[in-house]
Amino acid sequence: MLRASAIAFGYNLDIAAIRDPSIPVGVPNGNDLLRFVDAAMADSPDDLANRQTAIIETLGPESLVDAASVFGNFEMMNRVAEGTGIPISAQSIERMKDTIDELGLDNFLKT
Amino acid sequence: MRLLPLARARPCLSPSIVYGSSSTIPSVFRFSGSPVPVREDLKDAYAELWSHLAAPGPTLTGVQRLALSAYVRAARSGDTPPWMDLPWSLLTLAETLFVNPSHVDGPMVRRAADEGGEATTVEIISIVSMLSAVDGAHIALGASLEPLPAALPGDPTGRIAEGLKKRRTHVPMPAGAIPVALDLLPRVGEVFQNSFGPQYMTGPEMASYDFRRTPGLDRAQIEIVSSRTSLQNKCFY
Repeated sequence: MLRASAIAFGYNLDIAAIRDPSIPVGVPNGNDLLRFVDAAMADSPDDLANRQTAIIETLGPESLVDAASVFGNFEMMNRVAEGTGIPISAQSIERMKDTIDELGLDNFLKT
Repeated sequence: MRLLPLARARPCLSPSIVYGSSSTIPSVFRFSGSPVPVREDLKDAYAELWSHLAAPGPTLTGVQRLALSAYVRAARSGDTPPWMDLPWSLLTLAETLFVNPSHVDGPMVRRAADEGGEATTVEIISIVSMLSAVDGAHIALGASLEPLPAALPGDPTGRIAEGLKKRRTHVPMPAGAIPVALDLLPRVGEVFQNSFGPQYMTGPEMASYDFRRTPGLDRAQIEIVSSRTSLQNKCFY
């Protein structure tokens, strides 16, 4: 989804930034969004406030709400996936092999 | 897909505690402490999730569902969780899924299902997951967590689909992708799917790689947030 949407917008995505936010991701303010997720995960109020300010000033207040709602949605989706054990199809794994290798996702594949 | 008759619904415990405010009207989400106003469709979506959590579910009463919500919130905050009359394996699953989702595995879910039943296990997964959505957005906005609503009265509904199988999954579900993962409980699955649009994207929007919220994030920026969240949760999904 990320690769396809980056292509659709003409962005020069570096998928490795998802694993390491110090790498420029190639999507406008994408690194601010990566660090915002990290601050929300860490429940770190000072860091979170700084990350929120960066998003508000560059992308606008509506984008902060979007980022928070997507974060919440995937807090939910990840738990549904883990709880129900919904599998990743072999075709999906094959199709995503480059991304899996790049991000080290094979560690997260469960049987 | 057939539903079990009401007579086969079974509550797991006899609750006596009412959580949340005294009103049975769903909370109006305030997002106190958020540096920015929150759009109305998102507030409405969370109000819908709150109403759903407060209402009787397929196997649990509204009181039980909110007691479980309070239990996992307490566990995450380091407080002593309130006592709950649910099997240990179900509470372990709920707490682990809420606090440390990557530590959930097949044997943990099977123990819960063996002891509490598959329908109750799926119901607990849904409660914890939906609560994580609402709390997650509040945390990301730096807002105070919304108090849990008051429980709505009534017995469990017993609405459980029959004939579904495990498909290399921990619990029975139809064939398909993650949106159908909770469809053992049809109403739960419906509420789960209805929450996607305001939080992420609607089905038609998901089909469009150049989708953009106006004003707001474009699809690539949305997927950066979703990808990093999943990576941090150590979840392949």
